[in-house]
Amino acid sequence: MLLATDPVPLHQYESAPPHETLSERKRRFEQSVLPHFDAAYNLARWLTRNDQDAQDVAQEAVLRAYRFFDGLRGEAKPWLLAIVRNSCFTWLAANRPAETVGFEDGAVELLPSDEDGPEVQAARNFDRRMLNDAIAGLPAQFREVLILRELEDLSYKNIARIVDVPIGTVMSRLARARRLLAESVRAASSVSGTQVPK
Amino acid sequence: MTNEEANRLLNAYIDGELDPAKTLELEAHLAENPSLRAACGRLREMSAAIRDKADYHAAPASLEARVRAAIPAEPKDGPARRARWEWLKPAGSFAVVADWLRPAASFAAVALVTWVVALGVMRPGEDERITQDVLASHVRATLSNRFHDVASSDQHTVKPWLSARLAFSPPVADLSASGFELAGGRLDYIGAQPVAVLVYKRRQHVVDVFVWPVEEQKAGQTLTRDGFNIEHFARNGMGFWLVSDLSRGELDDLARLLAERSAAP
Repeated sequence: MLLATDPVPLHQYESAPPHETLSERKRRFEQSVLPHFDAAYNLARWLTRNDQDAQDVAQEAVLRAYRFFDGLRGEAKPWLLAIVRNSCFTWLAANRPAETVGFEDGAVELLPSDEDGPEVQAARNFDRRMLNDAIAGLPAQFREVLILRELEDLSYKNIARIVDVPIGTVMSRLARARRLLAESVRAASSVSGTQVPK
Repeated sequence: MTNEEANRLLNAYIDGELDPAKTLELEAHLAENPSLRAACGRLREMSAAIRDKADYHAAPASLEARVRAAIPAEPKDGPARRARWEWLKPAGSFAVVADWLRPAASFAAVALVTWVVALGVMRPGEDERITQDVLASHVRATLSNRFHDVASSDQHTVKPWLSARLAFSPPVADLSASGFELAGGRLDYIGAQPVAVLVYKRRQHVVDVFVWPVEEQKAGQTLTRDGFNIEHFARNGMGFWLVSDLSRGELDDLARLLAERSAAP
């Protein structure tokens, strides 16, 4: 349901399968959770914007996931990414508090602005590096929904679970993220003069 | 549907997240509104550009290997351990406490296992560090030609000199009858502790024997590093590390002699 306002509960505690040994548990974890290790690292890398920090945070998050493995119900990928996401924000709050300052979700401007005429540069012609820099420059809560949607191809519902906000908020943040991104790349293109002529 | 609402729903529409009724409604709107169609096209293009051009950071293989290694898997008493925690299982109103305790207990168990595994992993690393330390000490002494702080072939001079400066008394044997001349002794700092170094000579070769107290017995182990022969063992509460350019066979002889004599202080 698209505009449901309740966050979807992520997991609850239940006991592990009875009489499971640690090595069985590890194997089960490796089979269900570790296939998503790239996704975990990708999210951590985009949120910390630094290889070394991403490695530290991703490692810590996956080991934490293992500790709370018994709480996993349903899909492993959003479950793991929720833990990674929380680890990242905890890390950011401790190490780069300025980056977690919240933007008001209410003040989202979704209408296209007037300069979006046919003469503006098409997104397919965006310079690759400029686009990456622009994504890295987005505020964290817009960056994360964009990465989860476009690079991990997750549904709004799963993104809502990971970010722990209502689905409607996911939609508005994603809209805002795409809008900010387009403006940012176009501004950078016109400054550096790399705009591709039509 | 107003233009404003249509615009609001465009993102959900291009993401395939709009329910069928709203989708039909929006598509009708798109059909008669060119600027909305253009906005929709730009949005799709934006999404495609991100998917196409944004960097996907795959995890480095070394990181995944490290994480896999760090996940504890202890095969032996898993089920037994679980059974032993059965008494924590709730009865009635204690359910809440037990639910809180269970993850705490499993966390403690995981931490313990990690610690035990880490101990096992650290052991070769410690030997390696000591190997490097004793080798460096030997090479330094060779380069500066300063092998001993106390030069004496008399064990009764060398031993008290070392004992006075250390928290232990190293065994110092007179092995001249076997062809190993005691040349003296010095102090050094190996594996984060002060140690005794006994210096023996055989022909033109110098042998450094590093000695410090250890708890366990250890059978002899030999290795070669940078052209130097190294041998170590532990006996009667003392660990011995021998470093020299002497041949392996002769170094073995010295190690055997030291092991025999270490019993008698």
